[in-house]
Amino acid sequence: MSPQLTLQTPLQIPPQEIPGYLKSLWSNDLSENNGANTFCLLVWQPAWIEQKLVTNGRINGPILGNERSELIDEARKIVLEKNLPHSTPPLAKEVFTSIPASKSPNKEDDLRGQHIDSAISQLQPRRLITLAPSLEKGKELETLVAAYCPLPEEGGGNSACGDVIVLKGDIDSLKKGLCIVENLIPEDLPSWLWWNGNLDEEPELLNQLAIPTRRVVIDSALGEPSRCLDVLQQRIKSGQAVNDLNWLRLRTWRQTLAMVFDPPNRRSSLSKIVNLDIDIEGDHIVQGLLLASWIADKLGWRLVNEFSKDGHSLNTKFKRPDNEIVNFHLMTLPVGKPSIHPGQIIGMRLICKSEKESQDGLCVILGSESGECMRLEAGGMASMDLLEELVPIQNNPVETDVALLLESSRGSTSPLLSNAAPIAAQLLNLIESENR
Amino acid sequence: MIMTTNPLRIGLRQERVISPQCLVIFGASGDLTHRKLIPALFELFKQRRLPSEFAILGCARRPWTDKEFREKMSKSLTEEIRINPNDWKEFTTRLFYEPINLDHPEDTFKLKTRLEEIDKLKATHANRTFYLSVSPKFYASGCKALSEAGLLKDPKRSRIVIEKPFGRDYRSAQKLNRIVQNCALESQVYRIDHYLGKETVQNILVLRFANTIFEPIWNRNYISNVQITSAETVGVEDRAGYYESSGALRDMVQNHLTQMLAITTMEPPGHFDPEAIRNEKSKVLQAAHLANELEPWKCCVRGQYSQGGTKSNPLKGYREEVGVNPNSTTETYVAMKLFINNWRWQGVPFYIRTGKRLAKRTSEVVLTFREAPVHLFDAAGGTPTSNQLILRIQPDEGAEFKFEVKSPGSGMRSRPVEMEFSYDESFGEPSDEGYVRLLADAMLGDPTLFTRSDEVEAAWRLYTPLLEMIEDSPWQLPTYQYESRTWGPSEADQLLAKDQLLWRRP
Repeated sequence: MSPQLTLQTPLQIPPQEIPGYLKSLWSNDLSENNGANTFCLLVWQPAWIEQKLVTNGRINGPILGNERSELIDEARKIVLEKNLPHSTPPLAKEVFTSIPASKSPNKEDDLRGQHIDSAISQLQPRRLITLAPSLEKGKELETLVAAYCPLPEEGGGNSACGDVIVLKGDIDSLKKGLCIVENLIPEDLPSWLWWNGNLDEEPELLNQLAIPTRRVVIDSALGEPSRCLDVLQQRIKSGQAVNDLNWLRLRTWRQTLAMVFDPPNRRSSLSKIVNLDIDIEGDHIVQGLLLASWIADKLGWRLVNEFSKDGHSLNTKFKRPDNEIVNFHLMTLPVGKPSIHPGQIIGMRLICKSEKESQDGLCVILGSESGECMRLEAGGMASMDLLEELVPIQNNPVETDVALLLESSRGSTSPLLSNAAPIAAQLLNLIESENR
Repeated sequence: MIMTTNPLRIGLRQERVISPQCLVIFGASGDLTHRKLIPALFELFKQRRLPSEFAILGCARRPWTDKEFREKMSKSLTEEIRINPNDWKEFTTRLFYEPINLDHPEDTFKLKTRLEEIDKLKATHANRTFYLSVSPKFYASGCKALSEAGLLKDPKRSRIVIEKPFGRDYRSAQKLNRIVQNCALESQVYRIDHYLGKETVQNILVLRFANTIFEPIWNRNYISNVQITSAETVGVEDRAGYYESSGALRDMVQNHLTQMLAITTMEPPGHFDPEAIRNEKSKVLQAAHLANELEPWKCCVRGQYSQGGTKSNPLKGYREEVGVNPNSTTETYVAMKLFINNWRWQGVPFYIRTGKRLAKRTSEVVLTFREAPVHLFDAAGGTPTSNQLILRIQPDEGAEFKFEVKSPGSGMRSRPVEMEFSYDESFGEPSDEGYVRLLADAMLGDPTLFTRSDEVEAAWRLYTPLLEMIEDSPWQLPTYQYESRTWGPSEADQLLAKDQLLWRRP
């Protein structure tokens, strides 16, 4: 699905005049139409790497703020050129810092916030507000406004259903302009903040935008693992509705594993697990920890205060409800062409031992479509019942994942994530305390 | 240790969330509300599929208060409430009641005021789904009353759900459609058929269109005949009043069985879109006709259950049931033969049967494939058994494929075996009641599993020759008596015997 443009060219209007303009837009031009009764989406969209690559002339403008293939391909080239580890995801912070600033930057249009992906426009947002920080120091605040209507085939009709507001400028001017944002958010509709950037950056701004009543979308694969899990934990504890794209990307792993144990005759094996191995791409361990934590929570395992590191393998233990030990190995594997999302899972193995010596155990191996699980297949499971499943890759554009959250969120954090996040944080503490 | 549920499955569903709204149930004092609708809504609540800004407003003529309504609604949910007392407590804060008589225009304005109050209280944003769980004679007046009160004005915020039966015949359905469409847009109207809410009926679509192996052989070149059965073991129970005027043809065939027929025979839609699917269903129903429209008695058999059972457990005949006319000719069983005049199905007979007090409770679609052109091997049963694909709708939901294999031993004799898929064995957990799915879909504004006006009319048109004959010259389509807990009258067996076929004994 290709992104859609607003139907009218966005008008540049001084910030203080926006509320008045919107009022007149809806009351005069579009009489008897108050817009869609849906939600307001506020997006933090820095697109730092894209800005740098466009101003350097390494990719063509305009700046769009999405993950287009040209951007990803060029970023991968930079990983190789700058001798970064091959496992470095193309949109990682290291890639950004290794791109030199341009001495004579290309002037290209910046259309962030004006391209609305059809996955989102189908949901007919009432208002989309995009904060588009610029790399250009000293850039003054610029505000753009347009009425917006999804195309009929995307569920829209002839009448306008929402509007688009874009705030552009350097960080300082954006921060100064923030005072108008809260006034622009309709009080009677659910509002969302999509933090489409690294969680390490601008923590104060994140706090300012993610007010407690607002539903938040973050990506716990972007940022230092401890910061990512801190943000998740704090927000969940405060009762805020948190939606994590990294957790969402785990859904095929959770679904496939659950599917393996759907037949009632396999369920008893769940209480006999002795080993859990998870392989991830690179060294961003949050997704691996979240998957292990979800399993631990569902099966009533408690974390044992033991940790060891063996090469790429991070080893800890859980205790089952019957006090037997489950060994958990999280393997951080270097890969040649990593996903754009750091730390994606590429394989997992569960070993269930039968209590009776005479009976075979069960070994469940799930492998990502993109990888192979020869490593997990090794290790003397020949005598066991072997169940292997392929987990479909989720190559959704991030906007599709966000749309999925927007249409399926219940206004509270998923209980599965609420329960898994604290266990993941404990695991990370254990790993980091031993690593220090 | 045997786990009754799969712990990894709990909470995994990621489904669209219903937008803030108020569901208004007319006929809230009736059986359907406390037996089906409220349990289904409570299930949605437990599954966290209802938004926090949600309310249910029960409306009926009885002068109940909110409190009384909440108490009455708990009566079909005693066990559920015992297990989930806090959920029920929370759920009941969303239950309201307003005494309403749809015949009194002033009551609909009273309703409007109450809805505005609920909007403020529960932030339901004037999004409303009106559910007509009332006697069919009130469908037209109910729609008119809602329309006149301006409650259906906004097509994006209001929709109306109408229970079956939608009309009594083609003309009355057409008339009702006109009235309803004068009150609301077709996109606002959700005609419910709870069979379409069944997981296994929906699975027919997935089985056909998500696999490549079935569709190439799903046609007249490979399929010799199709049988669709919906058999009940129960009698008329406490529905005699309704059943006397409807009979099996109106109660089961025109809606549930015809929907199963449409889903089994429709062409693949271009995409999974409500209108694309309903277009295909409507097209195939328009191509369907009775095997002999001029002499319907040659392709249709009606029956009525008589006494039966055992000495210790005798069963009454239909005419002895409370509320039934002792000389009633209402059919409790009907079997018929249809054809579909299109490229895919030309010449393939479809045999449909339904009945009460039959030998076994079952609903299934059986596709029998053509015989192998040459019989190379001796068959254990004399001739090789034709391949059969059996789609079990209920109970023991699943599918079964029958085919021939070599019988062990010397020689090359073949015998039939079965390959089976069972929902229970594969998923181990019961699927949601049809109403759970359909209520959620209606509130989400997804009409895929609801019947469109042209589908309803096409379904009635299909049976018009029969309905007219039953009305005008019922002696030509007599109701043959059959003993309770048997497979219907022997005349129904003869219907197939003429084609050298037998009904499948499930």
